[in-house]
Amino acid sequence: MKIVVYSESPVFLRMGAAVAQSFGGELIGISTSQDAKFFNKLYLIENTDEEGIVDLVVSLTPDVFITGNVRKDRAIAGRVAGRLKLPIITDVLSIKLDGNKAMINRSAYSGMGIAVIETELPLVMTVASTQLQPKQIEPSIEKVKLKEGRIKVIGRKSTSSGANISTADIVVGVGRGIQNKENIKYAEELATALGGVVGGSRPVAAELGWVPEDRQIGLSGLRIRPKLYIALGISGQPQHIAGIRDSKIIVAVNTDKNAPILENADYLIVADAVAFCKAMLKKLGK
Amino acid sequence: MNIVVGFKIVPDDQMIKVVGDKLVTDAPPKISTYDKNAIEEAIRLKEKFGGKVTGITVGSNDRKSIREALAMGVDEVIAVISNKIDVYATAMAIVENIKPLNPDVVLFSEMSTDSGTSALPAYVAEALGLPYVSNVKSLKIEGNKVIADRGMVSYVETIETTLPVVLSVGGEINTPRIPSVKQIMESSKKPVKEVKFDIQPKVIVKEVKPLLVNRKKIVIEENDIEKAVDKLLEYLKSDGVL
Repeated sequence: MKIVVYSESPVFLRMGAAVAQSFGGELIGISTSQDAKFFNKLYLIENTDEEGIVDLVVSLTPDVFITGNVRKDRAIAGRVAGRLKLPIITDVLSIKLDGNKAMINRSAYSGMGIAVIETELPLVMTVASTQLQPKQIEPSIEKVKLKEGRIKVIGRKSTSSGANISTADIVVGVGRGIQNKENIKYAEELATALGGVVGGSRPVAAELGWVPEDRQIGLSGLRIRPKLYIALGISGQPQHIAGIRDSKIIVAVNTDKNAPILENADYLIVADAVAFCKAMLKKLGK
Repeated sequence: MNIVVGFKIVPDDQMIKVVGDKLVTDAPPKISTYDKNAIEEAIRLKEKFGGKVTGITVGSNDRKSIREALAMGVDEVIAVISNKIDVYATAMAIVENIKPLNPDVVLFSEMSTDSGTSALPAYVAEALGLPYVSNVKSLKIEGNKVIADRGMVSYVETIETTLPVVLSVGGEINTPRIPSVKQIMESSKKPVKEVKFDIQPKVIVKEVKPLLVNRKKIVIEENDIEKAVDKLLEYLKSDGVL
């Protein structure tokens, strides 16, 4: 069995490698980093042309192509599956192989459900998460210059704001209910007092730009797993909930005690978000 | 300009509930959230360049949702009736029906709220042999040239390609219009072509179970916010998170 693994994200590349190793077989990695030592063979790519990566994966005719869940990974997964007319299963939580049959659990309905899926190899999958850790394997390395496809990248701007909310222990999430950009500073002060970082719902991060774009929490943004998540003025759209499900404790602050987020909160404080921040800062002696 | 927009009719994600040990998904149908952004972008392209917008939907053919797309400004909808669908079967149904139209632009949203695979637009692009640009947050077309910003969460990538092209868009690209009463009335005159398409899907969903996370759901309501905060801090200390 031939398994090919690629991800733009080092974290997902490790996850994909761990899943691939659990299957066993011929393990082939594709990465820009030679530190990706989890495979029998590593294609070290010098450029990251999306079409070039798709062509490379397709040329290897894998039984399983595994990638991660970041947006670039998903685009590549869909194209590889489309070109080879393969089944594609995204957001895989667990997978069992039995001959060429695959039984898969994947997250569905914005993370509210787990779909139990049956399909057959060859297949394309994207990993949502795994507890598995990959073993180190010294790969044979082949450098590859990918061909340039029909899509030219003419600019790239990092949205990185220096905080990694995916791994933070305490996250203060901001929604439209905080009212305006000026009020974000109260969330920032609260996060600092707690030793945490500020994130935001998709509208606040990606549309309104009240918090940096790389801090959008939700189904299509980042999924976080802090021990404490405080949601300020967030109503609780399913897409947002999908990003916070793995939090240990969820506190919601909302002026509406019937806000849908109550269903997914341990504590709902019925209050204005800014008044709450001020009171918290006072109590925390900051 | 010949524009095609795919949209999916899904159970309203705000009405999906866990009842006992079941996920109840037979909620009222609606157009999937970001698909309205795709429809809006399609209509804006038509307003700018002229031409026609053909909508295509596969699976549910809920009349009210189809009418809404037409009322927003889609000229015609192809509704593909198919029971068993996965990404592959949906893509094949779409390709069979839109290939004869020779589209310049095929628009989708970046993710549906039910299955949420993000895979369909890419699958369709490959089946049509067209370039694919995902997660478009802003779009400029000049003559044959396409310039788009892709929102990739940790970075924004600006790309250039040429028509014909398949795109998926996110919620940031526009604000979908709300049709007027007149547009809703007139939408009933627009053509809806119902076609059947059956192909064996490659992925079978056996069941959907709820993903249960038990939360305490304690409401803290005090006239004095400081009292409320005191209570909360006590709870958080006993939970061991502060």
